[in-house]
Amino acid sequence: MERRTFIQGLAALGVIGSLPLPLSQAFANTVTKPVSVDDLPKLKGDLTLYLGRGEGGLYENVLQAIQKNNPDFNLAIRRGPTAALANTIVAEAKAGVKRADLFWAVDSGAIGLVTDAGLAKPLPDDLSAQLQKQFKYKDWAPVTGRIRTLPFNTSRLTKDQIPTSIMEIADSDLSIGWAPAYASFQSFVTAMRILQGDDKTAKWLKKVKKRAKTYAGELGVVMGVERGEVDIGFANHYYTLRLKSGKPDANLDLAFTQNDAGCLVNASGILTLNNDPLATNFMRYLLSKEVQGYLAREAYEIPLVNGIAQPDGLPSLSSVSPPKIDLTQLADLRPTIDLMRSNGVL
Amino acid sequence: MNLFFKPAKTLGASLLIASAFIAQPVFANGPIGEHVNHLQANLKSYNEEVEWMVGKVDTLVSTYENKGAKAVNTDDLIEYWESVKFHSAIETNLVPVYASIWQGLYGVKMAIDGGKSAAEVRVQQTAMNNALWQGLGAVKLAAKFQQKGLLESVTATASKEMTQSATIDEIKHKLDRVIAKLAERLKDEATEIVHDTYLHLFEGVEGTLIEQDANLVEALEKNFNVTLPKAIADNKSVDEVRDVVTSMQTKLDRAKRLIEKAEKNRKDVF
Repeated sequence: MERRTFIQGLAALGVIGSLPLPLSQAFANTVTKPVSVDDLPKLKGDLTLYLGRGEGGLYENVLQAIQKNNPDFNLAIRRGPTAALANTIVAEAKAGVKRADLFWAVDSGAIGLVTDAGLAKPLPDDLSAQLQKQFKYKDWAPVTGRIRTLPFNTSRLTKDQIPTSIMEIADSDLSIGWAPAYASFQSFVTAMRILQGDDKTAKWLKKVKKRAKTYAGELGVVMGVERGEVDIGFANHYYTLRLKSGKPDANLDLAFTQNDAGCLVNASGILTLNNDPLATNFMRYLLSKEVQGYLAREAYEIPLVNGIAQPDGLPSLSSVSPPKIDLTQLADLRPTIDLMRSNGVL
Repeated sequence: MNLFFKPAKTLGASLLIASAFIAQPVFANGPIGEHVNHLQANLKSYNEEVEWMVGKVDTLVSTYENKGAKAVNTDDLIEYWESVKFHSAIETNLVPVYASIWQGLYGVKMAIDGGKSAAEVRVQQTAMNNALWQGLGAVKLAAKFQQKGLLESVTATASKEMTQSATIDEIKHKLDRVIAKLAERLKDEATEIVHDTYLHLFEGVEGTLIEQDANLVEALEKNFNVTLPKAIADNKSVDEVRDVVTSMQTKLDRAKRLIEKAEKNRKDVF
């Protein structure tokens, strides 16, 4: 029997998503390639999603497409800053109220806040099976990733002049652009704290601060690098790809550090707050090859499901070496902010 | 399903007009009364409040004219404005006029405190009165839209859809609030709104925008991060800062057209 026929048969019986565990596990073993929405069960019923804002509308397009494709599905959405929604979920749980069925966050640190509170439900094995090996978590599903990069000005530097260690950059003579107030930068510093310890991170911050020019956001950093205001910057990968898309002759390229916080892959992610099979099936849509491909193509985000092409202009994830780190640990932001403040960075 | 979410409404073409009046749940002056969700029922009292306000300010200015600055307490002007319900009715429905009312109030106050001639004070008073009547007109129009169900209820829940083009509208609205806060002499709040608007809203659309027009993004980046915060920090007048905001809003209009074009050309998700 063709896999597609098999799944559609299950969907017709209304059993997919509520499979008994052994069968679900057996089924999971077959789902190692990206799944098409055509193979997924239709969504029927009501769900409430708390949606952390991101990519200014592309996530909305995904949600609209899912609803359009499922006329019997009604999705109520509460939107807001990711961290605020994570705090709301935890506060609502403490108050004995459960309003959200799902939480889609643009930042895995916010996911960590909710999972640490024990509110997220475990993922079924077939969902985990679709994700790349290093992005499998027990109770949440990374949806797409973004990698920390070193955008550099190509008229001033060649790639081999850039250190491949984030710690060595602090000792180089390169001028640097950074956006310390930016959430992704703070997640990166949190990763550095976890990997290198607070003392080394503090010394790194102090050294870089001496030669860094501060920008409000990371697109500003990348634009500053392109204009030649600084040699290199610290920024998520998609800013460079998008600037180059709008300005193909930009004096800009990407460099990567190796196996340290400088090439951290952070992720947006989704979790369910109840055991409703409908919520789990909704998550399957976000991991479908169509949604993953759309976010890679339109938002330059990194698909984390097996077998989906990377955005144009980005090397394959297997050719870069992000550090091994539990992304939910990035929720430990307070000590990072304190460290940045005590060293005069914020 | 959670009951506190209302089903989406189809607004049709009227939304284009109504959008100028759609309430925004962002306030800094304490709780907004439930009356803002029943504008039509309160129009009579709003009208009376505007007349009362105009009369109180006129009495104060006349006293200044006849008896001098020592005979008046200009802080009363702020008290008058903050005591009327109409205050929140206009704040939730037309922020640019809300800002103009504050600007007029402070125009009168500063002219008196600065010992200006009665004629100069009257110029400021006229500007404030005009803004008040303009505001009443806007609230009346908003009441009509509300009667037709075209106006969202004021709630504390952020459930508004934020497509990229809707985000641009929200950014423009936030910039109006910058002027409003500045007119209220809340400089720190104004600066905070600029900062938050950049990080939480503009940052989310500039990725798409830069693919369409890198120079436009560069100009807006500079406006958000240098020109506007600097104008506020340098204590420029409300009118001067409004000029910066107006220039940004013109650029944002172009940004919206580009984003809508990009959204139109974007392939379907599936």
